[in-house]
Amino acid sequence: MKLEPETVEISVTGKPVQAKAGETIIHALWTAGMGDAIKTGCVGGGCGACTVTIRFKDGKPGGTDLACLRPVEEGMEVFPCPVESIPAVAPSLEPDVASLQAAFPTLNRCTKCGSCTTACPMTIPVMDSVLRMQEGRFDEVSDDFTTCIHCGLCRFVCEDKVKPHNMGLWVRRSQGLSRDNPSLDQSSLTESGDELEKEWSYLFTGDPKERLRRAKYFREHGRAGA
Amino acid sequence: MMDWAQDSLEKVALSRQARAEQPPPKLTDEESEALLNEFHPDYLGMERTVNVGPNAGTQKFPLELAELLESDSPVPQGFEPAIDITTDVLILGGGGAGAAAALTLAESGLNVHLATKLRLGDANTVMAEGGIQAALTDQDSTRRHFADSYVGGHGNNDPELLRVLCEYGPESILWLSRLGCLFDQNEDGTFRLRRGGGTSVPRVLACRDYTGLEIMRVLKDAVLLTPTKILENHSAVELLDDGEGQITGAVLWDRASGKLVSVSARAVILATGGSGQLRLQGFPTSNHLGATGDGLILAYRQGCQLIHTDSYQYHPSGSCYPEALAGQLVTESIRAIGAQVLNVHGERFIDEMITRDVLAGAIIKEVAQNRGVPTPTHRAGVWLDTPLIELINGEGTLRRQFPGIIHRFERYGIDPAKHPLLVYPTLHYQNGGIRIDAFGQTDLQGLWAAGEVTGGLHGTNRLMGNSLLDITVFGRRAAESVMEKIPERQEATLVGLKKFREGLHEIQHPSPRTAPLLFPVASKMKFQLSGEASGESTNEASEEKTQFREPPDPFGRRMG
Ligand SMILES: Cc1cc2nc3c(=O)[nH]c(=O)nc-3n(C[C@H](O)[C@H](O)[C@H](O)COP(=O)(O)OP(=O)(O)OC[C@H]3O[C@@H](n4cnc5c(N)ncnc54)[C@H](O)[C@@H]3O)c2cc1C
Ligand code: SF4
Ligand code: SF4
Ligand code: FES
Repeated sequence: MKLEPETVEISVTGKPVQAKAGETIIHALWTAGMGDAIKTGCVGGGCGACTVTIRFKDGKPGGTDLACLRPVEEGMEVFPCPVESIPAVAPSLEPDVASLQAAFPTLNRCTKCGSCTTACPMTIPVMDSVLRMQEGRFDEVSDDFTTCIHCGLCRFVCEDKVKPHNMGLWVRRSQGLSRDNPSLDQSSLTESGDELEKEWSYLFTGDPKERLRRAKYFREHGRAGA
Repeated sequence: MMDWAQDSLEKVALSRQARAEQPPPKLTDEESEALLNEFHPDYLGMERTVNVGPNAGTQKFPLELAELLESDSPVPQGFEPAIDITTDVLILGGGGAGAAAALTLAESGLNVHLATKLRLGDANTVMAEGGIQAALTDQDSTRRHFADSYVGGHGNNDPELLRVLCEYGPESILWLSRLGCLFDQNEDGTFRLRRGGGTSVPRVLACRDYTGLEIMRVLKDAVLLTPTKILENHSAVELLDDGEGQITGAVLWDRASGKLVSVSARAVILATGGSGQLRLQGFPTSNHLGATGDGLILAYRQGCQLIHTDSYQYHPSGSCYPEALAGQLVTESIRAIGAQVLNVHGERFIDEMITRDVLAGAIIKEVAQNRGVPTPTHRAGVWLDTPLIELINGEGTLRRQFPGIIHRFERYGIDPAKHPLLVYPTLHYQNGGIRIDAFGQTDLQGLWAAGEVTGGLHGTNRLMGNSLLDITVFGRRAAESVMEKIPERQEATLVGLKKFREGLHEIQHPSPRTAPLLFPVASKMKFQLSGEASGESTNEASEEKTQFREPPDPFGRRMG
């Protein structure tokens, strides 16, 4: 049942690289001693450092992707596509279309070309979300950008200088700043009373063995024992 | 899909309905201990003492770390630090702990530089999935949080540190929320809380399965709006000192130019994170590229005590199929809401919500005793029955609550809502680290540390969600302590390194590597100076001494 991995050939910036079928572009580069060829951060699809564009010799559609998640395929041509970050824009305590527009003057430049959605490696409906931003449907926008790793590809491909993911973060942070969190009312933040100190001293007995025993009791009963 | 495991998959599907109702198998304390002793990687004796530094001869380190502790610095002999940058505070590491410290210092009037190996936010923090703990409900309390974590840490936690962590939990969530973090809420607006392994009540807040991403992108954005000067692609390769034991700066390696940069600082905060990329015993890892334990090496050389560094967390559910995802995490929360762990016969063999170390031991045992599921890529694992979640909680639950898992597996044609996943423990978290006091100060004047690089807080087993809280609480606390106690500027020299090198001369077989390692051995990336000094790196020389493979074979030392 154990199969020997098949070898495939890809190219990275024109240089041929031998790789094992099933491994990612990044791991193939490591084995080839070419790890510096593509910027890498998390090696797990979470940081957005390893953006690349991909083409196929046989004309199969390529596109943009993350090199740390994308498995190699025969005839794949990979080009690093690092996206520089741009200055941050302070979020607003009163997020609405006007304040978003003031923070990002290119908001309405979107021509609905759809490139951003195609480019997004996290399958976020970026263009639709830009349209929702224009309409002030911020709850949906926040939801859309939950999984955004800020790789910057949507901004990179936008010819009209719209900055979808930067706006997405702005909307999320602004909503976070301005929303109510009933779990964080005063009572949960400030505990007081005799019980409190009694419980801490119960748990802070000098003897480590006894302390562990008491901790076990406490976690089972939610309070100090006798 | 996975037709090579068809028989086993059928058994899993057939028993699913019945298992949904079953209570988990119970273990006695003795049985748990036996699992740890016989099967947990920490207990296999793959460690030794070292012959240099403050813990010489007294404490054991994993073999891979021991070798690095006995390695020379990459800073060339004869290099004299001519100060290139002068700052008040130098933060080393651009993950959550470093960013929290930078934000806290932003209003202090102190000049702050943050140097980090990759880009700001390329860190373990951004990868955290499951969530963050804080005692927020009536049935919960900071004491209960303490008790859970203390029992989880096998009573080896520093109780003072742990108390600080738990007491500052609720306030830290408020701080993060005010920065704009969106933690998941219930219909009524209260936070949705989940259980984690070892918690006695639901206490884990999350942002779907992207909690670390949410915290990191918010912290990063906020830091970028402060005057903090960010030095990306600058790795710390040595600490500077005044010749009398006070830390006074650092030597950085600028990867782009290949030059060394010397920084004079009145205070240094080490926030360089963990060391999963050392891939102990050939295990795969869930960690980011830069997690090579650099901070441990730097601090140890200067005389800081390391504690519990023989204790690592092997996360029970690292993915082991497809190959491209090997070692990557499948969050514990997925077990918290019902996914069971099953062997090749479709049988449940352990309570999935037991502490991580025991569960990891149990999985390794199943595989070692041939009850695992072998993959065509030479690995083996056990099933994580994700479709059961849909059966228990209703269709669509996975997609709604765990978009990350769906997204990652879907691109390989696996839908976790319909298809169980294969998992095997992955090297995940460095439980121990640099000793600190309750204010984040190390044994040395001028040096603070925060986050995964430190030790003591979590004892010898960390609970899920306590680490994101750790970086928030202690990143801020270290910064506050710096503001209070920042010393006057002293000379920045390499006297500490010189002393360490004298010690190295005396040992029989110093390692041919240089340390800090900076990049995983498997990546073949390494420290290199521009110009004539290049090629001095000797990392390749010892490639055979410690066996690192890509992909690593986690069974090399356990199975026939
Ligand atoms: C996949 C995964 C999932 C996790 N899930 C959870 C969870 O659900 N809940 C939880 O509480 N915890 C979780 N953790 C643990 C938690 O994320 C980390 O322990 C924590 O974020 C560490 O933060 P840190 O700031 O100390 O280190 P990091 O976030 O790793 O940051 C360290 C930074 O220092 C940089 N650095 C390293 N060496 C140097 C050097 N020599 N010079 C300069 N910079 C350097 C690194 O590149 C990095 O940017 C998870 C971890 C992983 C890997
Ligand atoms: S790429 Fe730019 S213009 Fe095109 S849809 Fe996206 S935001 Fe609009
Ligand atoms: S929305 Fe833009 S920045 Fe975010 S993941 Fe998609 S392409 Fe990358
Ligand atoms: S390296 Fe982080 S997304 Fe690829």
